[in-house]
Amino acid sequence: MKRVAIRSFRWFRNLPAVAAAGLVALVVLGAATAIILQSEASYRAQKSEEAQVQAGILAASLVAPLDFGDSAAAQEAAEAMRVNRQLRGVSIYDPSGKRIAGFRRDGQKPIPTLAEARTFVSPGIVAEAPVMRGRQQIGMVRLGIDRQPLDTRFGRYAVIALLVLMAALLVVVLGVAQAMLRRANRELAERAAALGEANAELTHQIAERAKAEEQLRQAQKMQALGQLTGGIAHDFNNLLTVIQGSADMLRRPTLNEDRRQRFAEAIVEASARAAGLTSQLLAFARRQPLQPEVIDVNAMIAGMIDLLDRTLGERFAIHTDLSGEVCMVEADRAQLASAVLNIAVNARDAMPDGGTLKIATQLVHDDTGSLVAICVTDNGTGMDAETIARAMEPFFTTKAAGKGTGLGLSQVYGFTTQSGGDLRIDSTPGEGTTVHILLPCSTALPAPEAEATQTETRAARIGAVLMVEDNEEVGEFAEALLRELGHAVTRARSGAEALVAAAERPFDVVLTDVVMPGMSGIELADQLHILQPTLPVVLTTGYSDEIARSGAGGRPVLLKPYRLETLAKVLDDALAGVAARDG
Amino acid sequence: MTAERFLSAACGALAAAWLLAASPACAQASEQAVKTAFLPKFARYIELAPAAQPAAGQPYYLCILGRDPFGQQLDRAAASEVIDGHAVAVRRFADASPAAVGGCHIAFVAGANDQATVAMLLTLRRQPTLTVTDARIGKAHGMIHFVLADGRVRFEIDNAGAAKRGVTISSRLLALAVQVKQ
Repeated sequence: MKRVAIRSFRWFRNLPAVAAAGLVALVVLGAATAIILQSEASYRAQKSEEAQVQAGILAASLVAPLDFGDSAAAQEAAEAMRVNRQLRGVSIYDPSGKRIAGFRRDGQKPIPTLAEARTFVSPGIVAEAPVMRGRQQIGMVRLGIDRQPLDTRFGRYAVIALLVLMAALLVVVLGVAQAMLRRANRELAERAAALGEANAELTHQIAERAKAEEQLRQAQKMQALGQLTGGIAHDFNNLLTVIQGSADMLRRPTLNEDRRQRFAEAIVEASARAAGLTSQLLAFARRQPLQPEVIDVNAMIAGMIDLLDRTLGERFAIHTDLSGEVCMVEADRAQLASAVLNIAVNARDAMPDGGTLKIATQLVHDDTGSLVAICVTDNGTGMDAETIARAMEPFFTTKAAGKGTGLGLSQVYGFTTQSGGDLRIDSTPGEGTTVHILLPCSTALPAPEAEATQTETRAARIGAVLMVEDNEEVGEFAEALLRELGHAVTRARSGAEALVAAAERPFDVVLTDVVMPGMSGIELADQLHILQPTLPVVLTTGYSDEIARSGAGGRPVLLKPYRLETLAKVLDDALAGVAARDG
Repeated sequence: MTAERFLSAACGALAAAWLLAASPACAQASEQAVKTAFLPKFARYIELAPAAQPAAGQPYYLCILGRDPFGQQLDRAAASEVIDGHAVAVRRFADASPAAVGGCHIAFVAGANDQATVAMLLTLRRQPTLTVTDARIGKAHGMIHFVLADGRVRFEIDNAGAAKRGVTISSRLLALAVQVKQ
């Protein structure tokens, strides 16, 4: 209803343009009519004059025939006028008004006297001229001229009429077009406004969508975090169960020595695995400082065969195809071994019915230099392209819930890229998978393999140790270990406390935690270096952004959780450095 | 056209009667009456050399040489003509003595026989005078020679002879002639 009202209003607004166009058209038509009428009048006048002239000429030529009463000659003169097709008729009268010669083109009977002829109203143009002999009128000529036939005249005016009509039409069309244009403009403006509204709506929706996406991302992050936490908690709970159970058993006084030893071993083993798990997490987060060393890859793989055999089980055969060339890389030994193990475990999971695992090494040369490739190949289920693409994503796993954290390949990828190498996966569904660990070649010589096991750990050197640790449990535990090793231990709970202690009495070595409230371990080490440049400082941390970022400044780093022998060795090295300097 | 001409011929007498009616004195529509009416009119359709034209106020002299077949009716017909302010006066002479005919502008020549007529015409050839003869009277031809055609009075014109004498005949008159000698 409202729309109709608006429409009619628009029509009303268009009216002036249409009316003006109509008015102009009418004016044009009126002007054209006037022109035609004027033209008609002027044509009539012209024809009338023409007829008068012709009558005059005829009258002049009739002087002699009338003078001499020669009606035949008069007739001849009249007949000569026949060539003018518009001439309707000619009559020649004597002075008494009697017709003596002439013709009528229509073939009707001529009117015998001038007086009678004058009573007829002729449709055409009539002209009369007296025949004068000197001053004496001796006769009269009367002739009628047809007006141009109607169709000829119409033809003449039709052109004008057509032109005028077209002009009028043009004016009307222009008026209508103008009106339509105005309407179109109004509609355009309305549409532009609508478009603006739509755009605003769209912008609003985009903002809403961005907000929703942000929320979704947050939710996904939380979900991923949940997955991670779940996976870690699952693994950790298993390990803690072993540790807690073993510790409970150790408390029993009736326990014989053999079983006590077994439970202690179980605790050590479970703790080691837990440490490995946290280490993996940090490697995945690429926040664990790597401890690169020169490794002979071939020797390392050869040394891992037994471990792999035990890990995979009896149903799997392991083949090695080691390169004849020397393959040295600079990498974190534990991480590299862990990477190979990780891939081997994945291979095992891909071959539920058993199979063959092939480990090959080879030197690859590309434009960035020489690389050592460790290729682990299985003949298991393989992966499709989509799975390959997501294989290195953190938390992506094809294994059942609780069976894997989805961190394995992601961690391997983090390790290889951090070591300046790359990780590649080739796989065909149903045929198997090859994972390539690529690491840059090193020209350095390999370090001698450290003594792996020390049954009886004793400190080689004994000294005064300033131990800085804010965590009470860890502090007590570390203090106990240091005393067990034979060191004299002074405990400080913060950087400030440590500085006070260091000022009061001399120490041989400082063992400090890195992450502490207030002064950090690194800041403390820097302060101590200013006060006592020769005092060695050993940093210890579970993980530290600062160390990962800027390194330990050349100081030895003891990673938590640490074993007794590791602690002993680090402190020995530090004390040995002091001894060497001292002389 | 031919029917028209026939009609005209049939009504020739009537036409002549009208012409005579225009001159109240001429009551008869005879052949002679027509010729009487024609003679003074010729003056209007000729042009003479300037020296031969009548002086202002002077009339055109219409001379009847030899026999006079017209009588008083000619005088009346001549009296009704006024050409450019000049009247027409009739003079009659028995013969063509040069002294007598010197002032004639138009001369109707009718000798007792053809020889007499020719002799008079020869005399008139010395001066610019329009000579008129009549076939009914003789075979001698003047510049205008009356003939009867289809029962109507018509005339032949010797335009070449007139031109030699310094008499220019109007083309309007030539158009009425039954024959023109160029």
